[in-house]
Amino acid sequence: MVRRHFAILVLGLALTTAWAERNAVSSADPKDPKSKAPSFKDDIRPLLQAKCVRCHTGKVPKGELDLSTPQAIVKGGLAGPAIDPGKPDDSPLYEKVRKGLMPPPAKNEPLAATEVETVRRWIAAGATFDVPDGEKAAALPVALTQHDVLPIVLRRCTACHGLRRQEGGLDLHTRAAMLRGGKSGPALVPGKPDDSPLIKRTRLGQMPPPEKLVEGSVKPIEKAEIDVLARWITAGAPEAVVEPDVATTAPDPLMTDTDRDFWSFRPPRAVKVPAVRHTTQVRNPIDAFVLQKLEEKGLALAPEADRLTLLRRASFDLTGLPPEPAEVQAFLADTAPDAYEKRIDRLLASPRYGERWGRYWLDVAGYADSEGKREQDLPRAHAWRYRDYVIQSFNADKPYNRFLMEQIAGDELADYECAPTIAPAIYDNLVATGFLRMAPDATWANITGYAPDRVEVIADELDVLGSAVLGLTMKCARCHDHKYDPIPQRDYYRLVAVFKGAFDEYDWLKPDIRPGIGPVSSDVVGPRLLPNVTTVERKAWETHNAKLQEEIDKLKAAPDGKAPDADARLKELQAQQKPEPKIHALWDRGEPSPTYIYRRGDPLTPGRLVGPGVPSVLTDGKTPLVVKPPWPGAKKTGRRLAFARWLVEPDQPLTGRVLVNRLWKQHFGKGIVKSLDNFGKNGTPPTHPELLDWLAREFVRQGWSQKALHRLVMTSSTYRQSSAVTPEREKLDPENALYSRMPLVRLDAEALYDTLLLTSGRLDETRFGPADDIKVRADGLITPAGTERGWRRLLYVKHTRKQLPTHLENFDYPQMNPNCVERHDSIVAPQALQLMNSGIVHELAGHFAQRVTHKAGPDPAKQIELVYLIALSRLPSDDEKQVGLDALSKLTDKWTTPSTDADKPDKEAAGLKALTTYCHAIVNSAGFLYVD
Amino acid sequence: MQRRDFLLNAGGGLGGVALAWMLGEQNVLADPARPRLDLNGGRHHPAKARRVIQLFMNGGVSQMDTFDYKPELARRDGQKVDFGITAAVTSPAGAVMASPFEWKQHGQCGRWVSSVFPHTARCVDDLAFLMAMRSKTNVHGPASAMQNTGFLLPGFPSMGSWVTYGLGNLTENLPAFVVLPDARGLPYNNTANFSSGFLPMAHQGVVIKPSAPIPIPNLQPPKTAKQVTPASEEEGRALLRQLNEDHREQHPGDSRLDARIASYELAARMQLSAPQILDLSGETEATRKLYGLDEKETADFGRNCLIARRLAEGGVRFVQVWSGMGGPKNNWDNHENIKTELPFIARTVDRPVAGLLHDLKQRGLLDDTLVVWTTEFGRMPFTQGATGRDHNGGTFVTWLAGAGVKGGVSYGKSDEFSYQTVEDETYCYDLHATILHLLGVDHERLTVRHNGIDRRLTDVHGHVIREVLS
Repeated sequence: MVRRHFAILVLGLALTTAWAERNAVSSADPKDPKSKAPSFKDDIRPLLQAKCVRCHTGKVPKGELDLSTPQAIVKGGLAGPAIDPGKPDDSPLYEKVRKGLMPPPAKNEPLAATEVETVRRWIAAGATFDVPDGEKAAALPVALTQHDVLPIVLRRCTACHGLRRQEGGLDLHTRAAMLRGGKSGPALVPGKPDDSPLIKRTRLGQMPPPEKLVEGSVKPIEKAEIDVLARWITAGAPEAVVEPDVATTAPDPLMTDTDRDFWSFRPPRAVKVPAVRHTTQVRNPIDAFVLQKLEEKGLALAPEADRLTLLRRASFDLTGLPPEPAEVQAFLADTAPDAYEKRIDRLLASPRYGERWGRYWLDVAGYADSEGKREQDLPRAHAWRYRDYVIQSFNADKPYNRFLMEQIAGDELADYECAPTIAPAIYDNLVATGFLRMAPDATWANITGYAPDRVEVIADELDVLGSAVLGLTMKCARCHDHKYDPIPQRDYYRLVAVFKGAFDEYDWLKPDIRPGIGPVSSDVVGPRLLPNVTTVERKAWETHNAKLQEEIDKLKAAPDGKAPDADARLKELQAQQKPEPKIHALWDRGEPSPTYIYRRGDPLTPGRLVGPGVPSVLTDGKTPLVVKPPWPGAKKTGRRLAFARWLVEPDQPLTGRVLVNRLWKQHFGKGIVKSLDNFGKNGTPPTHPELLDWLAREFVRQGWSQKALHRLVMTSSTYRQSSAVTPEREKLDPENALYSRMPLVRLDAEALYDTLLLTSGRLDETRFGPADDIKVRADGLITPAGTERGWRRLLYVKHTRKQLPTHLENFDYPQMNPNCVERHDSIVAPQALQLMNSGIVHELAGHFAQRVTHKAGPDPAKQIELVYLIALSRLPSDDEKQVGLDALSKLTDKWTTPSTDADKPDKEAAGLKALTTYCHAIVNSAGFLYVD
Repeated sequence: MQRRDFLLNAGGGLGGVALAWMLGEQNVLADPARPRLDLNGGRHHPAKARRVIQLFMNGGVSQMDTFDYKPELARRDGQKVDFGITAAVTSPAGAVMASPFEWKQHGQCGRWVSSVFPHTARCVDDLAFLMAMRSKTNVHGPASAMQNTGFLLPGFPSMGSWVTYGLGNLTENLPAFVVLPDARGLPYNNTANFSSGFLPMAHQGVVIKPSAPIPIPNLQPPKTAKQVTPASEEEGRALLRQLNEDHREQHPGDSRLDARIASYELAARMQLSAPQILDLSGETEATRKLYGLDEKETADFGRNCLIARRLAEGGVRFVQVWSGMGGPKNNWDNHENIKTELPFIARTVDRPVAGLLHDLKQRGLLDDTLVVWTTEFGRMPFTQGATGRDHNGGTFVTWLAGAGVKGGVSYGKSDEFSYQTVEDETYCYDLHATILHLLGVDHERLTVRHNGIDRRLTDVHGHVIREVLS
């Protein structure tokens, strides 16, 4: 078999099968330094044939490395040349066999030490090919095509002579355009490199012009690159028809059924809800799945938590805030059997819901109000619209499939350029694409905006997509085939091609910033901004400014000296004028450059041409991705739209599972798949695979509604369990892997901060709009600046990457680099110091005490009851009340004990001070910070 | 005095599990490679150093005007030499400029030191020099990030964070990683240079500004909180303790609740111990003088060096002392005039640095304390403008002293102009690997899984520089 294969190949080199028969191992003693160098024909080729060529030849050789012919060996594979003649230590072929990395250890047929040594000596001696025409074949230059030339031209020339800009009327981005040339004639003369300006001017160092390099973020052209251009022109500048590598109806040669045979790569299965013994505990199928595992251990679900615990848990889970006293009382008074279910519906309908669940999404999207990466951390002034879009989408329960479509391909969903009016739906589409503009980005500056820097930004965006939506570590395949999952490097670059219409490192829109100045002035629409806000908003803005302008004009026209305060008034009016509303967006520009696989992830070593596609392992491998412009005459590729459609197909293996798993995690403290961002082979297997599949299918069945999913989860008996840990449950389910109880959950940074504000009556519930400023204190503490009415929820405060509010940092807000799929939960002294000593907590404790005194009057017992009701959503036990009374009385005494000065102690003030200290202790207590 | 190893011997009312939680290392107790008493607190092999004091000169110290003596510069002074570049990072390349300072050989080892460091020059027999360090960039932000975290991009843990993550602390009263910035302001990158990156927050450098009105944020209640007196604070704390303990009783078996109580106890102890560290009234006049507290120019950096010693004595694992703030002035970024700018900034650190070394030595602390003096990159052999020097990542100088370090040696060489490294070049990776090695940590085995990758301080690089070890 091997031999036959070989024979066919060597025919191409005009060799006969006879040579292949003579694969006797060399008799030369490798230890003898005088023994002559190994021969390719007698030693190396037989070795390669026996151990390597099985995978490294054919239509799709592994790693695109073909080891069957001298020419192919010299050419090398995806990772570059396999041998460096004379330098075994620099030759991957030798390195791989020496370290036992090749043949793959799994095959268990490593090369013998003598064979490894033979390879080393052959390379050390210059790696010559002693077969007829061998050297000639090896030395034969690989025929060059436009695809060897285009990457060079894109890298060095098209910034000024390309699609968007034609200095001297010259465009070099296709062969035809080169021939057409510019003002000074064609850029090349086929067959005559020395007559081709392209070669002449680059050789002289005139092009690319040294003085324009930095401005265009272009590095000088290298001699080797000019040589390639010259060789191609010498050969007549041939243009080969090379179809980009995309999925076709033929089976994918890089993917086997074994590769696909992994639970998360297959669509969620229809599973039968199991029958269980504790039928009375089954409120919905979730309980049956959970009970099944518990019963195997001899356990059942824990008893239901008491009603107020449930209310507090549900309220924090859905809104990130505790129930207010009136809600607590109303819930206690409601004796209807479905009182709890009704409460869940009320909470889901609350506008606070989107602020809670939107924040989770902003984490996975990597939201930030600044560009990051550089020292300056320049502002992203228009990012807040995306934050608002996310909150509103959650509040409207926008189906998840639609939500994804908008964020990945919103610009291709409707023709916003020709729409007579911009309706909210079109506006939403565009704002949603901000999802793909969240990565840290320093490409606004020339010196950090070279093509490799841009490629980094693209990689970050794809990383966000991979970890947040697909649950795959796609990024590993950027430089090489994925080590654990069947994701070839090709598939990463097919994904790159999907986004190329908008993310093109050779046709790049820079962030809307001028170095040192900040955002571009308000009268310029920056390169990443679209003016297409809703017609209503635009009209309102125009009217607003027009009115002011009218007054301004009037004032200016008025004769001097009439109004003494005219100047001040003028300034006031001008300050009221609003800048033009704009959207921070991403859109397809219709003419992407070709996408090449980048060997080792390096844009300087482009490989094969690929086209748009989805990870093959998630498909049957023989279904092409149908890409077409989104509407007739659209100047858009439609690639992202096609990708997004695939992403939300009902039986897409990962989209639904990843989402329901994350939602489950937020309710139960951990995912069914613990590694939220990795559903691949190196991730954690699901603890309850049937439950996960059932939930994923149910989610799609219910129209991708997240609110329906919350309702389902939260009305289950599993969710209603008590958090009490009994010795039996601790013993049989120590990690709570079986959900034998609810976890005790610490409030995260936002819930804690927002609750402090709500408790003290200082929460300003104004929603949406530009982010609130922060204050940086001299000692380095950063706090939200606040509004006239207090402070807004933390997600409305500016989230720059470098100056985060200290509270966020202390309570485990992550660095968005580029995003965060799961937050940590630490317990450190700075948290204690902050809650105990920060000015804002003391101030809020004071407001809290005032609020309580105002409502409950001077009776300490009543005060304590109200403190518990507000802060802990329940009434104190008798013991707790006594502890409180004792503390208040001792504290009041301290303040009323006459001090040295003769002032008569003020009893009322003393009471308030005591209550403030009491409230301060309560908001520091574990009961306030942890939810049962 | 027996110094207690906090992690090894977690007493003092803190349960071991609670402690692990507080350090953000839920797994540390289960980890077989945790610090071991039989390895002198090392993790993988016996430790020579127990703690580190790093002196970071922010802005890029001019190597050929301090420690890297190049007579060729004087010979070719004023000549245009083709270095293969037409411009440095911020300016066109000027002519070669001789070092404007006087050079002499010092100590038994005969090390050349320029006249800007007269006091440090007397310590050279205790110092091991890396004469050919190289950076991958010559832009301040990324270069500082590289020298501190091993990566050019933000988001990675700094060396101090890795060290405390791997080894814990030596005290239960103070944070494990303390940063003393220049009194004038934070360095380039601000606090990102001491960030814990993806390691738990507990390992972030705690910034103390001894000369600021509030040296440690939130250490004490604010003056504005009128209801707070020592008595009411104590009462409030007692109440809180009771509330938390009651809560814990209702939730048995949850180590986080113990940890949280412990974190409040540590906070309370820090309220007492941190001001003691900062209170220098107990130091003798001779000591104050040793650190240069008697002179206006040296007082700020000297105080920070003295506090660094007190922190080290108090059991802090990693102390970082900064000279130079971010921005164009008041640091080592001498673009305009080497002759005036360099002596000015060098003077502020010279006496304090020598004083610190002397003091550590006389107290026996230098035996198990490692001192590292470094910067983010070097400067150009040619002029910027008429008299300045531009950034140069090609070669720069770092020195080490103390525990496990061979004094009076050097490793590596730059070319005749001190433009590029030519021999035994080292990167931050090698420096970091060497520091971890001295602390008993194998840099290849101290890893943390993050976003699917086993991360280490030294990425995929790093060789222990054995030539400078004793």
